[in-house]
Amino acid sequence: MSGSEDLNLVTAINQTLRQELTRDPQVRVMGYDIGPIGGVFRATDGLYDDFGDQQVIDTPLTENGLIGAAVGMAMRGERPVVEMQFLGFMYNAWGQFVYHLANLHQKTGGLVKVPVTIRATFGGGIKPLPFHSESTEAYLMHTPGIRVVCPSTPYEAKGLLAASIRCDDPVIFLEHTKLYRAFREPVPDDDYTLPLDKCRLVQSGQELTLITWGNMVHVSQEAVNELGADVEIIDLRSLAPLDVEPLLESVKKTGRCLIVHEARRTAGPGAELSALISEYAMEWLKAPIKRVTAFDVFFPDNQVEDIYLPGTERVKSGIEALLNYQF
Amino acid sequence: MGKTKWTEVRPNEDYFRILNPDGTLNGKLPRVSRKELLRWYQVFVETRTFEDIAVRLQRRGVLSVAAVSRGEEAVGLGAAAAMKAGDWCFPSYRQNSTLLYWNAPIDRAMAGLMGNSPEHIREQLPIDADQLPQVTFMPYAVFLGANIPLAVGSAMADRLAGRDSISVAFIGEGSTSEGDFHDGLSFAGVFDAPVVIIIQNNQWCISMPASKQTAAETFAQKAEAHGIPHQRIDGNDVFAVYQTVKQAADRARKGNGATVIEAVSYRMLDHNTADASEVYRTEDEAEYWKTLDPFERFEKYLLAEKIIDGNTREAMAAEAETWLREAIDRGRAVPPTPATAMFESHLIGEPGWSERHQRAELAAELAGRNPLVDFTGEGL
Repeated sequence: MSGSEDLNLVTAINQTLRQELTRDPQVRVMGYDIGPIGGVFRATDGLYDDFGDQQVIDTPLTENGLIGAAVGMAMRGERPVVEMQFLGFMYNAWGQFVYHLANLHQKTGGLVKVPVTIRATFGGGIKPLPFHSESTEAYLMHTPGIRVVCPSTPYEAKGLLAASIRCDDPVIFLEHTKLYRAFREPVPDDDYTLPLDKCRLVQSGQELTLITWGNMVHVSQEAVNELGADVEIIDLRSLAPLDVEPLLESVKKTGRCLIVHEARRTAGPGAELSALISEYAMEWLKAPIKRVTAFDVFFPDNQVEDIYLPGTERVKSGIEALLNYQF
Repeated sequence: MGKTKWTEVRPNEDYFRILNPDGTLNGKLPRVSRKELLRWYQVFVETRTFEDIAVRLQRRGVLSVAAVSRGEEAVGLGAAAAMKAGDWCFPSYRQNSTLLYWNAPIDRAMAGLMGNSPEHIREQLPIDADQLPQVTFMPYAVFLGANIPLAVGSAMADRLAGRDSISVAFIGEGSTSEGDFHDGLSFAGVFDAPVVIIIQNNQWCISMPASKQTAAETFAQKAEAHGIPHQRIDGNDVFAVYQTVKQAADRARKGNGATVIEAVSYRMLDHNTADASEVYRTEDEAEYWKTLDPFERFEKYLLAEKIIDGNTREAMAAEAETWLREAIDRGRAVPPTPATAMFESHLIGEPGWSERHQRAELAAELAGRNPLVDFTGEGL
């Protein structure tokens, strides 16, 4: 008989890493500050002591080197799990990210597999320093050859991270810093995985389909609850590839679609979602598609952060605008 | 794992040093006036005072995070004293002494640390152009190592324009692992860029000891392969730093190209206020480094030379506390940055449709109106 434990998201990540390091000796957790200190968010807390420096590898400070070396190890049979301390530090690694992480499998005609998972913290709301709050999923989604996964709860985090690590494709696994310690929920002790290519129905509704992911799942739920509106909320979970059919089905049912993301608007993830829905569900729409997003600017200084990020009020505005719309 | 060639606890002291830890001399002093020596002492005092206040403000929730340079002040200070008006500086986040030496406006710095936008700060705390520091400081590099190619390009521009000003960049030892460091050095070497790159080796890159950043014996050696002269010095000896940077700067001004200097020091405190270094390093180490403290050493020398007396520190600290408090209070008194500031300084000229539209959305939202009711593109 196994039970479950109430865990927050960062502890769920820690336990999953522990589970995978135990299950598969080829799993190598890599990154800087992941050893004795256990990561700046303590996601790798205790792993160095328990698994040693051959499986938990503290590396020099070079993101490009880190991703390139992880791919090199992966193509020779290892299964690296890289910690990218902040997604905003990954710009230095764009070369290895595109040339090798994303492209090597295709370039070798499928001969070389790249089972690398890159855990990157992302998202705003904790008022840190510049480039510590990026929501630049769109850069990632625009790159073929990689999976982009984003859990929104501790339970989801465990199942999706285990699946990402076991997946033979490269996966960018986005962990929202605001969610790390936001809340706890029961997480089974047992090993389980969740599908990497399926979105999740958060709650069903009849009047509007709200598509979101990450911390915005919670902001959106709050907005919907405050309005008492009959809204269907879908958590994408996987940003690449997109699980399109359930989105279209939902929009065909509700006739309205609101996309909520923390990323900037122009050419953001919402642009692709909006395009897909207008291409394939136009005839069912009772209102135009709307996007609730951050603004098209660099992540602003701390004092403006809360107004920059979409909050419950902005999401409520989006829902109301669509529900009140008349053709 | 490569074998550790040296340790962060007791790095090899086979480096250039003028002032011994006990305040006695190990070599010939550079020519520095008594007045200038007093100024250096004052900046030491100001730096520690400023950083103490910053940490206190962080603990009280006024600042979200604060990084200090305790024990490393001589690096930024000695280098600052070797710069000239017209030079450009590309700091990391541990050169408060450089900023204070060049009279960088602390009120503005504080308003920035509190999360105000640069445009808003300039508007709220106006300064006459001739009151600005005569060395130009770029924003500190949060993205590690990225300031090196930038500084090299800046130096190339000086060379192309025939100016005798130089660029001075600071980088931590950890950041020399970044490709950017080597990218910059490739250019600096090939183009004889008038740049001085100072590796402020404080032994710790958050939790990563210097020994895990490189298998080379020193960080200075990294310049060797780029054909750039390099020197490893005692970074806790302000005279050694000053003299080495001065010589490098002179060479650069004369068109003889770049220099890399590894200043060996130690991060006495946490990486920043979000860190907890007791998790990954021992007290013993800090005890050893306390004996090499750059300020104590310099103070001993000045006392022995009767340039200061037993009361100087306290008097200067009181003076620093007063003016820094005033400056910090001015920074803290800046009203919050308006939300519309987020749109500033992205593109020059008239805003395009999306920016106009999003500005209108923000205005509507701030006015309590629904910002998402435009369904025609004709505006709210």
